[in-house]
Amino acid sequence: MARNKYDVDEIMEERFDARQLARVGRYLIPYKGKLILTAVLMLSASALTMLIPQFFMNVIDRSIPEKDMRSIFMYSGLSMLIILYSVITLRIKIRLTSQVGQGVIHQLRTDLFEHLQELPFSYYDSRPHGKIQVRVVNYVNNISDLLSNGLINTITDLCSLIFIIVFMLAIDWRLTLMCMCGLPVLAAFTILIKKKQHLAWQIQSNKQSNLNAYISESINGVRVTQSFVREEKNREIFNSLSDSYRQSWMKAVRYNFMMGPTVDMISMVTTIFLYVVIVSWIRSGTGTASIGVMVAFTSYISRFWAPITTLANFYNSLLTAISYLERIFETIDEPVAVKDAPDAVEMPVIKGKVTFDHVDFSYEDGEKILNQVSFTTEPGQSFAIVGPTGAGKSTIVNLLSRFYNVDSGTIYVDDIDISKVTLHSLRSQMSVMMQDSFIFSGTIMDNIRYGNKTATDEDVVRAAKTVCAHDFIMKMENGYQTQVNERGSRLSAGQRQLISFARALLADPKILILDEATSSIDTETEIALQRGLNELLKGRTSFIIAHRLSTIQNCDRILYVSGGRIQEMGNHEELLEKKGLYYELYMSQYRFLEGA
Amino acid sequence: MTPMKWFLTYLKQYRPRIIFGLVLVTAMAALAIVSPNISGEIVDGVIQGGKYEELPVLIMILIGATAARSILKFCVPYNFEICSQGIIYKMRDEIYEKLLSEDFHFFDRNRTGDLMSRQTGDMEAIRNFTAATIYAVFENILYFSFALLMIFTVNIKLALGMLCILPFTALTTVLQMRAVKPAFRGIRRQFSSLNAFVQENISANRVVKAFAKEDYEMEKFEKENDAYRDAELACARVWEKYVPVFELFSNVLMVVLMLYGGYLAVAGEITVGNMVTVNGYLWMLNSPLRMAGWYINDIQRFVTSVEKIYDTFSVEPSIKNEVAENEAAGNENPEIREAGNKAAENKTEKSGAGENVDLGNRNSNNKLKGDVEFRHVSYRAPDGELLIRDVSFHARRGQTIGIIGPTGSGKSILMNLLCRFYDATEGEVLVDGVDVRKADLKKLRDRIGMAMQDVFLFSDTIEGNLAYGRPDCDFETVKKAAVAADANHFIKETPDGYDTIVGERGVGLSGGQKQRISLARALVKDPEILILDDTTSAVDMETESYIQKQLKNIGKDHTVFIIAYRISSVKDADQIYVMQHGRITERGTHRELVNSGGYYAQVFAHQYGKGVTEHGKK
Repeated sequence: MARNKYDVDEIMEERFDARQLARVGRYLIPYKGKLILTAVLMLSASALTMLIPQFFMNVIDRSIPEKDMRSIFMYSGLSMLIILYSVITLRIKIRLTSQVGQGVIHQLRTDLFEHLQELPFSYYDSRPHGKIQVRVVNYVNNISDLLSNGLINTITDLCSLIFIIVFMLAIDWRLTLMCMCGLPVLAAFTILIKKKQHLAWQIQSNKQSNLNAYISESINGVRVTQSFVREEKNREIFNSLSDSYRQSWMKAVRYNFMMGPTVDMISMVTTIFLYVVIVSWIRSGTGTASIGVMVAFTSYISRFWAPITTLANFYNSLLTAISYLERIFETIDEPVAVKDAPDAVEMPVIKGKVTFDHVDFSYEDGEKILNQVSFTTEPGQSFAIVGPTGAGKSTIVNLLSRFYNVDSGTIYVDDIDISKVTLHSLRSQMSVMMQDSFIFSGTIMDNIRYGNKTATDEDVVRAAKTVCAHDFIMKMENGYQTQVNERGSRLSAGQRQLISFARALLADPKILILDEATSSIDTETEIALQRGLNELLKGRTSFIIAHRLSTIQNCDRILYVSGGRIQEMGNHEELLEKKGLYYELYMSQYRFLEGA
Repeated sequence: MTPMKWFLTYLKQYRPRIIFGLVLVTAMAALAIVSPNISGEIVDGVIQGGKYEELPVLIMILIGATAARSILKFCVPYNFEICSQGIIYKMRDEIYEKLLSEDFHFFDRNRTGDLMSRQTGDMEAIRNFTAATIYAVFENILYFSFALLMIFTVNIKLALGMLCILPFTALTTVLQMRAVKPAFRGIRRQFSSLNAFVQENISANRVVKAFAKEDYEMEKFEKENDAYRDAELACARVWEKYVPVFELFSNVLMVVLMLYGGYLAVAGEITVGNMVTVNGYLWMLNSPLRMAGWYINDIQRFVTSVEKIYDTFSVEPSIKNEVAENEAAGNENPEIREAGNKAAENKTEKSGAGENVDLGNRNSNNKLKGDVEFRHVSYRAPDGELLIRDVSFHARRGQTIGIIGPTGSGKSILMNLLCRFYDATEGEVLVDGVDVRKADLKKLRDRIGMAMQDVFLFSDTIEGNLAYGRPDCDFETVKKAAVAADANHFIKETPDGYDTIVGERGVGLSGGQKQRISLARALVKDPEILILDDTTSAVDMETESYIQKQLKNIGKDHTVFIIAYRISSVKDADQIYVMQHGRITERGTHRELVNSGGYYAQVFAHQYGKGVTEHGKK
């Protein structure tokens, strides 16, 4: 799988748009009632308001010449009632449409987010995070207007268009057909530019995504940027991304702006054509219709084209929205590689026996990371994994948590194949502490409690004390209530590791995995930590990856991994006696010391 | 400066184009008035009145007017779109520049997602305002005033009768403006918060999975998602109160015409023809009123966003490049720049911004000596905690300084003070005898290579990441640095070698690999001062010793700071400082410190076992 970066557009396979729309349609189903109610209200209101010009004509034609003030009052009163009705329906329409629009994007966003939670590491690893984010937040927002106002207006406009056509047909069917001659031309035009327009908006959404990715990265990497004095170069890159965003935008809106004038032109040409026909009919006397009918007809022509203009606008925003919808659905459809088997069962309470049985594993590109790895730990054992960087140590523990699926072989926990149990029941009984300790924005208390939501404040403090984090936390301005965040310079790397250590402990795991988890913790703290840990590790199986030999030599078993294979296995003394690779590693620290 | 004034500085740059656009809008509006009249003339004069000879002329005019209007209808929005994109481009650029110059406190205060919202959602509101709202409001005002004027020429009483509605309109406008603003603020706040949450969730995807907290994240997400929807709906509830009121006003005009006009006509003050004429103008009064409510929304949405952007970015960074600013003001003093380091060192006490040596001149390519001195430096965090207490030391060119000490003792902060990510609250930090606060910030940082504890890699190729500080350097330089950092062989093993794209935060690489890339990245800069902040904690000792040998070979003229927890990382340093609680509590060589029996000796004993202590003393 190729990785994507900020200045590379994501590839989009051309898809059939109607399917995206049908999917959106499904989101609208729960709001059927509201949509119908709104449409009925709007139609009744617009039908009633059509009466007002009629009243006005009556006032002019009859009431005024007859000096009949009473009927003027009556017509005004009736108009006022109609107006009040339409005002009330408008109010209901605004409420209902925003409920529908916001409801749909709320659901869409929830589905998108829920799916994102299931997607494996590789999905997140293969593209800038800003590009994922833009889909959840910005793209979804971009379609909200389409789904609320756009949709309702389209329904009402379509209905009024049908009304008008019926009216026109009633007056004169030949003129009506002539009037509709313009429609195929309009259709031809939209089909003509559709492909280009769609493509232009696809490109635009890509450029937006790129820009977003770069902004996100710039913020997260700002310390590096400042220390490497890259501000100007980054600004250049940013501006070039910003400029291609601007250009793609200008290109795309051009197609949208073409729509209105085109409808105008077509409508005008048809209208003129009709005038000419009407006039020639009148002059030659061939027409069956009276002059009055034809005058009435001309007044409908403009009403015929008004809803078409709105429909054209809707079509514009639809094409814009499709390029966003495609991306949203693409993410929702992203296959989940690691998921619960259909017949997955709950993992019973783990005792702690872990078995790797001839496990092979490779990442995307086929390069073998693990080759026939087999070992067994007894419940409660502490297991150290050592070996050169890139040997596959982290991969072993990642497979145990089933962050990836094995290529071949089986991993058992308590003699149960882990691919046969639910991910949640498996992972929630393990704690993994990674070298990159992530700190959520919020209080320190919340960060530790992340491991176990139901823990009391006392539990949190106890965990913090066990990992020797209590003292430095208490020294901070608000103690456990101090606000920290992801990039926070407020905490040192070691302090962050201790907090995530406490978080891992609080989860009360049956299997604890420490992946270079204490690399940034000083020795003194580590000694204290170990003392607390020894007590805690009783009854738990633990895997420890570390480079500091002081951390690992007390482990029950040590696994030496290199080149994706287990080279040596045994306890510290056994391996030293063996005088193999571990012995070399162990002695090297003294050799380097002598080099001083 | 107020937020609006700030926005106007951008708008002003497009003044000619905007005025031009408004002229086009005027023409467009005029044509919109002409066309129906011609159509009316065809119906009344030609079809009903029988003046058939006028038809060709009228049709020609109609075609001309429609064509002109169609062209304008394309050009006007396009023109304003150009303005709005231009303004946004400029704003983005300046905000981005500002963002990169902000100090660490700024980033402690603002979440990534919040900052991103300023560049995305808030920009969108500004785009919409300049691209559409400005000219639409203008167009509607034109229609409204024109129609009103025409009605005045027909009959003053009737016009005044219709004007009665204006005070109510004005009142509603004010009320809606007031009511909708907090609602928009609420939306912006929730949008920002949702964005920040999603951003964090994506960054934390590994932790979320490791703790199997997907359900909990879903729960938190639902809260954010609900809050955002509720904010939108709350805003809609404000509109639903006001937008229909404008609809009411717009329709009431018809009733006014019917009732009051009818009364006037019955009284004989106006003719029926007058009433028909006024009715013809009515849509020009109607539709602006109908749209007013929506435009008020757009305007307030825009105002809220401008304020939000301005609030975030009007904060001046506390760490500023005084030299660059003085240079910009023409204050540089070339003579003194020529003066030697020695002289400058003596002068530092009283030296002004213009009196700096090389460090003060950003254009000079001269290298630094690499002489670093801390004089009674203390640093107090904004929350009041004293993190560095009276630290003094002097590292000379070519020396390697090891710094060791407990977690949170202030080791990294010391280095951040050197790079001026923070400013010392007391005492001074001198590089080549120049107070860093008076040095050119960019030059200073450019000559310091820092491999940070938190390795951040960019989603770029490995080569792109290595050459981050020297984007134009050749491949040989990159490779040399990679070899020195012992990164070359594993890079070559990756699928595309140096062209392999690494994810953000370097996912896909092991901790040790990331650290080595980070080190190589610092080496590519060929800096005189090199800081390795916990850079080898995740590499094995063999690799570490190789790296240290390489570093020695690179040259004798580098001043190197090594922060570490492992004795093996610092044991070869010329001087080792032990930091505890913000103070340097021990200093000396490895041997001296082991023999002194302090903190260092204890750490040594623990890491190498008691038996080895004797071994080390030999």
